[in-house]
Amino acid sequence: MTLTHLNARGEAHMVDVADKQETRREARARGAVHMQASTLALLSEGGLPKGDVLATARIAGIQAAKRTHELIPLCHALALSKVTVEFTLDAEHDCVHVEAFCRLNGRTGVEMEALTAVSVACLTLYDMCKAVDKGMTIDGVRLEEKRGGRSGEWLRETAPESTQRPENEAPEEAIEPSSMGLIDPSGAVSTASDLKVQFLAELRERFEMPEILLSWDQLPSHDIAGVKLALINQDPKFKALQNQRVLCARNDAMCQDGAAIVRGDRIAFFPPVTGG
Amino acid sequence: MRIAINVHDARFDAEVEQQRLTAGRSDVGAVVSFTGRVRDFNERPDVTALTLEHFPGMTEKALHEIAREAGERWALQGVTIIHRIGRLEPGDAIVLVMTASAHRRAAFEACDFIMDYLKTRAPFWKKEHTDHGSYWVSERQSDREAADRWEHS
Repeated sequence: MTLTHLNARGEAHMVDVADKQETRREARARGAVHMQASTLALLSEGGLPKGDVLATARIAGIQAAKRTHELIPLCHALALSKVTVEFTLDAEHDCVHVEAFCRLNGRTGVEMEALTAVSVACLTLYDMCKAVDKGMTIDGVRLEEKRGGRSGEWLRETAPESTQRPENEAPEEAIEPSSMGLIDPSGAVSTASDLKVQFLAELRERFEMPEILLSWDQLPSHDIAGVKLALINQDPKFKALQNQRVLCARNDAMCQDGAAIVRGDRIAFFPPVTGG
Repeated sequence: MRIAINVHDARFDAEVEQQRLTAGRSDVGAVVSFTGRVRDFNERPDVTALTLEHFPGMTEKALHEIAREAGERWALQGVTIIHRIGRLEPGDAIVLVMTASAHRRAAFEACDFIMDYLKTRAPFWKKEHTDHGSYWVSERQSDREAADRWEHS
């Protein structure tokens, strides 16, 4: 294996791609911003001083992907056909997962664009939240998969580790939602495909159950609205959840129907609160 | 800012809490304290007791978040929030909110703010018991309006 950005004399050069065949190129990259739980809560409520953090970070990531060639010296300018930047708030690990996807039909790969989108989206998240939390860290920026071109398909899961980790350090994959397990009160470990949904106060009495486990595959969409629909598909009595007054919390923070969920989340539905 | 959050079924003593909040500090110029108590009349006229339920884990986080937000809005030196759970009888204290600041205005307003947010954002639910049965207490529009006014201030 050689480094294509170095010529025979070991000098940096831009690879001539004129004769390469155009193929569909795709790349997916991820990263995370770890922060204090209170910062994450503020972010999910939209309570940060600079305004809508995720919308701004998303635009920043998309813009950055388009300008990758201006930042990375030997990168070609590409006419991307698709760029998406998605965020998942992870209250269990106090972080925001950032995922970028880039696609084009062309002669060079788009992994640098996806990685740049993730990096700049993470930096923008930092900028938007730093007024309340300067200790945030940007972690695990990495390529997850890439398709098309001479090297074909590459997936992180099947690729060899690029660095050796110390033995006492948990592998990064441990924080991935897909490998999270929920421990339920009975002591049995439920699988990652389950979603625990709790009902509190009057709703617990009305449904005659404190909680229910949903399989991830039952969800029509990966958000709170999808959880409600999956429950209603099981039993029409859960239509009561569509009442405007019913509140919802995801991993202990209040959220709305549109809030995205990940495997292993703790979801709770409850009536309007009446403490004090 | 010193934040103390407690959710438990035991009684509390406001005087003890005030000493705890101000211990070792001579820069606190004002302490404002609010105590909420169980009434013997509410949605029905003959309330004999109530049971307070909460959502362990989320409750503490929600209260901490409310205290932290108060600390961002006003120059506070300390906040104590105690909320009781379980069965309570008329005359029992349910909730204590105590704020400490250099000057009274911040302490007054922050205490007011914390109660308004607690009533609309912290996951507590009251079930009132009467001689003729029990019922879950409904939310009050006035509580929501009280909390809403801070959104625009």
